[in-house]
Amino acid sequence: MTTMPPHKIVFTGPPGVGKTTAIAMLSDIPPVVTDVPNTDPALRKEHTTVGLDFGQVDLADGQCVRLFGTPGQLRFEFMWQIIATDALGLVILIDNSRPDPLDDLATCLDAYQHLLPTMNCAVGIGRIPDCPQPSVDRFSELLAARGLVFPVLPVDVRRREDVLALVDTVLIQAEMRA
Amino acid sequence: MSNLHTLLSEPARRAAQTLFAELGGARSVLVATADGFELTHVGEAGIDPARLAAIVGSFSALGDVASRETRIGTPRYLVIESSEGRLAVRCMQALGQSIVVLVLTDRSVTLGLVWNCLAETERLMNAA
Repeated sequence: MTTMPPHKIVFTGPPGVGKTTAIAMLSDIPPVVTDVPNTDPALRKEHTTVGLDFGQVDLADGQCVRLFGTPGQLRFEFMWQIIATDALGLVILIDNSRPDPLDDLATCLDAYQHLLPTMNCAVGIGRIPDCPQPSVDRFSELLAARGLVFPVLPVDVRRREDVLALVDTVLIQAEMRA
Repeated sequence: MSNLHTLLSEPARRAAQTLFAELGGARSVLVATADGFELTHVGEAGIDPARLAAIVGSFSALGDVASRETRIGTPRYLVIESSEGRLAVRCMQALGQSIVVLVLTDRSVTLGLVWNCLAETERLMNAA
């Protein structure tokens, strides 16, 4: 019996969108977190990730997926690049309750632009029930304007099945490319 | 800048200047919050203190999680030993907040001296 090598999928996006929560929801192992007390009053949360998050999930088909999360703030962009190295796919999480979610997505697309043409990617939009605008279509249009076609899904990062759907979406793209 | 940053900035500036003056071979001293905000920087130009503060924040958080993962307790110092110099980081509490102090030195300085000076920096920060 051969063992498939683990895949690496990276969760990224601005601060406070739930990257740490998403990984914790999906991980079969206690996640590694590097949260520290937040001193930025603009962020309105007690702790923030400054290094990385790590978790692992074994899927029903025998695939092992290692989940890495980036810090959200732009000042940690150097970590975004380190963590994304050799990733099979990228999950971009956006929080629709933030002031400018489309700009948040644009920032991520700028940061990973060198990887995106060959990257398997899914975009998860959180808090849509409370903040329905911009619509999912607007995010798809923003991607299309850059020549990118990635699935855009509503997500509640507290729901394991929602997070799993994003990971599955990335894995399906990878299989189609193989 | 938050109230916390304002509160910490002056003792951080004094402590950094003292450390820089007393540690021969020091090229830069940076004091930052644990979440990667620069509080003060003394030393050579050509270093972006805001960027280095974020890098040190990540570095110290990874050191902390590595210590916990290997059950060796709470990290006190982290070192990057490179061909042209050293980065030494001390994780400490100051005025009840987690901060990191980084000192960049050339290779002429012994690590023991760096540790002593960084321990003194912690005392200075908390005596403020």
